[in-house]
Amino acid sequence: MTETTETTGTPEESPPAVGWGGLALRIARVTGWTLVWLGALTLGFVAHQLWITSWFAQHNQGELGEERVAQWASTSITEVEVAPADDGETAQDPGEAPPQPVVLKVESPPELHAAFALIRIPSIERLADGWNVVEGVTLADLKTGAGHMPDTALPGQPGNAVISGHRTTYGQPFHELDQLKPGDRIEVETALGTHVYAVRETRIVAATELSVTEPRDGAWLTLTTCHPMFSARQRLVVFAELVAGPNFDAIQELT
Amino acid sequence: MIARLYRMLPGPTAVRILVSIVIVAGLLVGLHFFYDWLGNTILDTGGAVG
Repeated sequence: MTETTETTGTPEESPPAVGWGGLALRIARVTGWTLVWLGALTLGFVAHQLWITSWFAQHNQGELGEERVAQWASTSITEVEVAPADDGETAQDPGEAPPQPVVLKVESPPELHAAFALIRIPSIERLADGWNVVEGVTLADLKTGAGHMPDTALPGQPGNAVISGHRTTYGQPFHELDQLKPGDRIEVETALGTHVYAVRETRIVAATELSVTEPRDGAWLTLTTCHPMFSARQRLVVFAELVAGPNFDAIQELT
Repeated sequence: MIARLYRMLPGPTAVRILVSIVIVAGLLVGLHFFYDWLGNTILDTGGAVG
Protein backbone atom coordinates (compact mmCIF):
# COMPACT_ATOMS: atom_id res chain seq x y z
CA MET A 1 0.00 0.00 0.00
CA THR A 2 1.40 3.28 -1.06
CA GLU A 3 0.91 6.38 0.93
CA THR A 4 -0.13 9.47 -1.01
CA THR A 5 0.24 12.93 0.27
CA GLU A 6 -2.14 15.60 -0.95
CA THR A 7 -0.61 19.03 -1.05
CA THR A 8 -2.49 22.27 -1.32
CA GLY A 9 -1.23 25.78 -1.97
CA THR A 10 2.00 26.75 -3.60
CA PRO A 11 5.56 25.68 -2.83
CA GLU A 12 6.51 29.09 -1.41
CA GLU A 13 3.71 28.95 1.14
CA SER A 14 4.73 27.81 4.58
CA PRO A 15 3.19 24.63 6.00
CA PRO A 16 0.05 25.13 8.08
CA ALA A 17 0.94 26.16 11.58
CA VAL A 18 -0.66 24.57 14.58
CA GLY A 19 -1.37 25.67 18.13
CA TRP A 20 -0.97 29.06 19.78
CA GLY A 21 2.43 29.61 18.22
CA GLY A 22 0.96 29.13 14.78
CA LEU A 23 -1.88 31.53 15.50
CA ALA A 24 0.53 34.15 16.77
CA LEU A 25 2.66 33.67 13.66
CA ARG A 26 -0.38 34.12 11.43
CA ILE A 27 -1.49 37.27 13.29
CA ALA A 28 2.03 38.68 13.03
CA ARG A 29 2.14 37.94 9.32
CA VAL A 30 -1.26 39.55 8.61
CA THR A 31 -0.37 42.56 10.77
CA GLY A 32 2.98 42.91 9.04
CA TRP A 33 1.51 42.83 5.54
CA THR A 34 -1.27 45.25 6.57
CA LEU A 35 1.35 47.71 7.84
CA VAL A 36 3.41 47.29 4.68
CA TRP A 37 0.39 48.07 2.51
CA LEU A 38 -0.66 51.01 4.70
CA GLY A 39 2.88 52.38 4.50
CA ALA A 40 2.91 52.00 0.72
CA LEU A 41 -0.47 53.73 0.43
CA THR A 42 0.71 56.57 2.68
CA LEU A 43 3.91 57.02 0.69
CA GLY A 44 1.81 56.98 -2.47
CA PHE A 45 -0.42 59.71 -1.01
CA VAL A 46 2.58 61.91 -0.16
CA ALA A 47 4.11 61.39 -3.61
CA HIS A 48 0.77 62.12 -5.27
CA GLN A 49 0.21 65.33 -3.32
CA LEU A 50 3.73 66.68 -3.70
CA TRP A 51 4.67 65.68 -7.23
CA ILE A 52 1.72 64.47 -9.24
CA THR A 53 -0.56 67.40 -8.35
CA SER A 54 2.32 69.79 -9.08
CA TRP A 55 2.89 68.14 -12.43
CA PHE A 56 -0.79 68.68 -13.24
CA ALA A 57 -0.55 72.32 -12.15
CA GLN A 58 2.57 73.01 -14.22
CA HIS A 59 0.92 71.40 -17.22
CA ASN A 60 -2.22 73.50 -16.70
CA GLN A 61 -0.17 76.69 -16.27
CA GLY A 62 1.22 76.28 -19.77
CA GLU A 63 -2.27 76.01 -21.22
CA LEU A 64 -3.57 78.87 -19.08
CA GLY A 65 -0.78 81.15 -20.34
CA GLU A 66 -2.01 80.73 -23.90
CA GLU A 67 -5.62 81.14 -22.79
CA ARG A 68 -4.75 84.35 -20.91
CA VAL A 69 -3.07 85.90 -23.93
CA ALA A 70 -6.15 85.11 -26.02
CA GLN A 71 -8.40 86.53 -23.29
CA TRP A 72 -6.41 89.78 -23.21
CA ALA A 73 -6.76 90.14 -26.96
CA SER A 74 -10.55 89.91 -26.70
CA THR A 75 -10.92 92.08 -23.57
CA SER A 76 -12.49 95.46 -24.17
CA ILE A 77 -11.34 98.42 -22.09
CA THR A 78 -13.63 101.36 -21.43
CA GLU A 79 -13.21 104.60 -19.54
CA VAL A 80 -15.82 105.29 -16.90
CA GLU A 81 -16.35 108.61 -15.15
CA VAL A 82 -16.78 108.24 -11.41
CA ALA A 83 -17.69 111.04 -9.02
CA PRO A 84 -15.44 111.33 -5.97
CA ALA A 85 -17.13 110.17 -2.79
CA ASP A 86 -18.65 112.93 -0.66
CA ASP A 87 -17.77 112.18 2.94
CA GLY A 88 -20.02 115.01 4.14
CA GLU A 89 -17.40 116.30 6.58
CA THR A 90 -15.87 119.10 4.56
CA ALA A 91 -18.13 121.99 3.72
CA GLN A 92 -17.70 123.21 0.21
CA ASP A 93 -17.11 126.93 -0.41
CA PRO A 94 -19.99 128.52 -2.34
CA GLY A 95 -17.60 129.79 -5.02
CA GLU A 96 -15.66 126.54 -5.32
CA ALA A 97 -16.32 124.33 -8.29
CA PRO A 98 -17.74 120.90 -7.49
CA PRO A 99 -15.18 118.06 -7.58
CA GLN A 100 -14.58 116.82 -11.08
CA PRO A 101 -15.37 113.20 -11.83
CA VAL A 102 -12.33 111.03 -12.30
CA VAL A 103 -11.84 108.64 -15.19
CA LEU A 104 -11.33 104.97 -14.35
CA LYS A 105 -10.15 102.46 -16.91
CA VAL A 106 -12.33 99.36 -16.67
CA GLU A 107 -11.88 96.06 -18.46
CA SER A 108 -14.73 93.75 -19.42
CA PRO A 109 -15.32 91.09 -16.76
CA PRO A 110 -13.50 87.80 -17.41
CA GLU A 111 -15.41 84.63 -18.19
CA LEU A 112 -15.83 82.23 -15.28
CA HIS A 113 -13.00 79.66 -15.07
CA ALA A 114 -10.92 81.51 -17.69
CA ALA A 115 -7.38 82.77 -17.14
CA PHE A 116 -7.30 86.57 -17.14
CA ALA A 117 -4.37 87.74 -15.01
CA LEU A 118 -0.82 86.97 -13.99
CA ILE A 119 0.38 87.44 -10.43
CA ARG A 120 4.07 88.11 -9.75
CA ILE A 121 5.81 88.44 -6.41
CA PRO A 122 9.47 89.31 -7.01
CA SER A 123 10.54 88.40 -3.45
CA ILE A 124 9.19 84.84 -3.83
CA GLU A 125 11.26 82.83 -6.28
CA ARG A 126 8.49 80.53 -7.50
CA LEU A 127 6.27 83.56 -8.26
CA ALA A 128 8.96 85.79 -9.72
CA ASP A 129 8.02 84.76 -13.26
CA GLY A 130 4.30 84.82 -12.53
CA TRP A 131 1.43 82.42 -11.96
CA ASN A 132 -1.76 82.53 -13.98
CA VAL A 133 -4.96 83.61 -12.26
CA VAL A 134 -8.34 82.25 -13.30
CA GLU A 135 -11.79 83.64 -12.57
CA GLY A 136 -13.35 81.47 -9.86
CA VAL A 137 -12.32 79.69 -6.68
CA THR A 138 -13.86 76.24 -7.09
CA LEU A 139 -11.66 73.21 -6.39
CA ALA A 140 -11.31 72.71 -10.15
CA ASP A 141 -10.29 76.35 -10.69
CA LEU A 142 -7.65 76.25 -7.97
CA LYS A 143 -6.12 73.06 -9.37
CA THR A 144 -5.17 74.96 -12.51
CA GLY A 145 -4.03 78.31 -11.16
CA ALA A 146 -4.60 80.92 -8.49
CA GLY A 147 -8.28 81.88 -8.36
CA HIS A 148 -9.90 85.30 -8.29
CA MET A 149 -13.00 85.30 -6.11
CA PRO A 150 -15.98 86.33 -8.27
CA ASP A 151 -17.98 89.32 -7.00
CA THR A 152 -14.88 90.94 -5.56
CA ALA A 153 -13.14 93.80 -7.37
CA LEU A 154 -10.91 93.02 -10.31
CA PRO A 155 -7.21 93.74 -9.76
CA GLY A 156 -6.46 97.41 -10.32
CA GLN A 157 -10.02 98.51 -9.56
CA PRO A 158 -11.36 100.22 -6.42
CA GLY A 159 -12.37 97.81 -3.66
CA ASN A 160 -10.89 94.50 -2.61
CA ALA A 161 -9.63 91.99 -5.18
CA VAL A 162 -9.37 88.57 -3.53
CA ILE A 163 -7.07 85.90 -4.98
CA SER A 164 -6.64 82.42 -3.44
CA GLY A 165 -4.08 79.73 -4.12
CA HIS A 166 -2.75 76.37 -2.97
CA ARG A 167 0.01 76.32 -0.39
CA THR A 168 1.27 72.72 -0.39
CA THR A 169 -0.18 71.03 -3.47
CA TYR A 170 -0.95 71.81 -7.11
CA GLY A 171 2.24 73.74 -7.74
CA GLN A 172 2.18 75.39 -4.30
CA PRO A 173 1.90 78.94 -5.72
CA PHE A 174 1.36 80.50 -2.28
CA HIS A 175 3.78 78.26 -0.38
CA GLU A 176 5.96 81.13 0.87
CA LEU A 177 3.20 83.68 1.40
CA ASP A 178 4.06 83.76 5.11
CA GLN A 179 7.47 85.21 4.25
CA LEU A 180 6.02 88.43 2.84
CA LYS A 181 6.83 91.53 4.86
CA PRO A 182 5.14 94.94 4.91
CA GLY A 183 6.28 96.89 1.88
CA ASP A 184 6.97 93.84 -0.31
CA ARG A 185 5.80 94.30 -3.86
CA ILE A 186 3.06 92.26 -5.54
CA GLU A 187 2.28 92.79 -9.21
CA VAL A 188 -0.87 91.69 -10.97
CA GLU A 189 -0.95 92.02 -14.73
CA THR A 190 -4.29 92.16 -16.52
CA ALA A 191 -5.40 93.29 -19.96
CA LEU A 192 -5.37 96.82 -18.52
CA GLY A 193 -1.70 96.80 -17.53
CA THR A 194 0.39 96.02 -14.45
CA HIS A 195 -1.09 96.89 -11.08
CA VAL A 196 1.49 97.18 -8.32
CA TYR A 197 0.55 96.54 -4.71
CA ALA A 198 2.55 96.86 -1.50
CA VAL A 199 2.00 94.44 1.39
CA ARG A 200 0.48 96.17 4.41
CA GLU A 201 -0.62 93.40 6.76
CA THR A 202 -0.66 89.62 7.26
CA ARG A 203 -3.30 87.86 9.32
CA ILE A 204 -4.25 84.31 10.33
CA VAL A 205 -8.01 83.76 10.35
CA ALA A 206 -10.52 80.92 10.46
CA ALA A 207 -11.20 79.20 7.16
CA THR A 208 -14.73 80.62 7.15
CA GLU A 209 -13.77 84.23 7.97
CA LEU A 210 -15.50 85.93 5.05
CA SER A 211 -14.94 89.43 6.45
CA VAL A 212 -11.47 89.50 4.86
CA THR A 213 -13.14 89.51 1.44
CA GLU A 214 -15.33 92.55 2.11
CA PRO A 215 -14.84 95.74 0.05
CA ARG A 216 -12.33 98.29 1.39
CA ASP A 217 -11.71 101.99 0.75
CA GLY A 218 -9.11 102.49 -1.94
CA ALA A 219 -7.82 99.60 -4.02
CA TRP A 220 -6.66 96.47 -2.22
CA LEU A 221 -5.45 93.02 -3.09
CA THR A 222 -6.13 90.22 -0.60
CA LEU A 223 -4.27 86.93 -1.02
CA THR A 224 -5.51 83.88 0.88
CA THR A 225 -4.05 80.41 1.32
CA CYS A 226 -4.27 77.46 3.71
CA HIS A 227 -2.65 77.65 7.15
CA PRO A 228 -0.83 76.05 8.86
CA MET A 229 1.19 74.20 6.23
CA PHE A 230 -0.37 70.80 5.35
CA SER A 231 -3.66 71.74 6.99
CA ALA A 232 -6.85 73.38 5.73
CA ARG A 233 -7.92 74.47 9.23
CA GLN A 234 -7.15 78.20 8.91
CA ARG A 235 -6.27 80.81 6.30
CA LEU A 236 -3.18 82.96 5.94
CA VAL A 237 -4.33 86.30 4.58
CA VAL A 238 -2.10 89.00 3.08
CA PHE A 239 -3.52 92.48 2.53
CA ALA A 240 -1.76 94.67 -0.02
CA GLU A 241 -2.60 98.20 -1.17
CA LEU A 242 -2.37 99.56 -4.71
CA VAL A 243 0.68 101.83 -5.07
CA ALA A 244 1.02 102.12 -8.85
CA GLY A 245 -0.78 101.19 -12.03
CA PRO A 246 -3.12 102.43 -14.75
CA ASN A 247 -5.85 103.43 -12.25
CA PHE A 248 -3.67 104.49 -9.31
CA ASP A 249 -4.01 108.28 -9.79
CA ALA A 250 -7.76 108.07 -10.38
CA ILE A 251 -8.30 105.93 -7.27
CA GLN A 252 -6.18 108.33 -5.22
CA GLU A 253 -8.51 111.15 -6.26
CA LEU A 254 -11.56 109.05 -5.43
CA THR A 255 -10.51 108.35 -1.83
CA MET B 1 -1.10 37.32 -2.38
CA ILE B 2 -0.57 39.10 -5.71
CA ALA B 3 0.71 35.86 -7.28
CA ARG B 4 -2.36 34.01 -5.98
CA LEU B 5 -4.67 36.68 -7.43
CA TYR B 6 -2.84 36.47 -10.76
CA ARG B 7 -3.32 32.68 -10.86
CA MET B 8 -7.05 33.16 -10.27
CA LEU B 9 -7.37 35.10 -13.54
CA PRO B 10 -8.93 33.12 -16.39
CA GLY B 11 -7.42 32.40 -19.79
CA PRO B 12 -3.95 31.93 -21.18
CA THR B 13 -0.94 33.96 -20.07
CA ALA B 14 -1.39 36.72 -22.63
CA VAL B 15 -4.99 37.31 -21.53
CA ARG B 16 -3.99 37.20 -17.88
CA ILE B 17 -1.31 39.83 -18.45
CA LEU B 18 -3.75 42.04 -20.35
CA VAL B 19 -6.41 41.70 -17.64
CA SER B 20 -3.76 42.43 -14.98
CA ILE B 21 -2.72 45.63 -16.76
CA VAL B 22 -6.34 46.77 -17.02
CA ILE B 23 -6.98 46.02 -13.32
CA VAL B 24 -3.80 47.80 -12.19
CA ALA B 25 -4.59 50.83 -14.37
CA GLY B 26 -8.11 50.95 -12.94
CA LEU B 27 -6.75 50.74 -9.41
CA LEU B 28 -4.26 53.54 -10.07
CA VAL B 29 -6.98 55.80 -11.49
CA GLY B 30 -9.20 55.04 -8.50
CA LEU B 31 -6.31 55.70 -6.15
CA HIS B 32 -5.62 59.02 -7.90
CA PHE B 33 -9.19 60.22 -7.32
CA PHE B 34 -9.14 58.98 -3.73
CA TYR B 35 -5.82 60.76 -3.02
CA ASP B 36 -7.11 63.90 -4.74
CA TRP B 37 -10.26 63.94 -2.63
CA LEU B 38 -8.29 63.26 0.56
CA GLY B 39 -5.75 66.00 -0.21
CA ASN B 40 -8.44 68.53 -1.04
CA THR B 41 -10.32 67.67 2.13
CA ILE B 42 -7.65 67.59 4.80
CA LEU B 43 -4.40 68.94 3.39
CA ASP B 44 -5.00 71.93 1.16
CA THR B 45 -8.39 73.07 -0.08
CA GLY B 46 -6.87 75.72 -2.31
CA GLY B 47 -6.95 78.56 0.19
CA ALA B 48 -10.35 80.03 -0.64
CA VAL B 49 -12.19 81.58 2.28
CA GLY B 50 -15.72 80.55 3.19
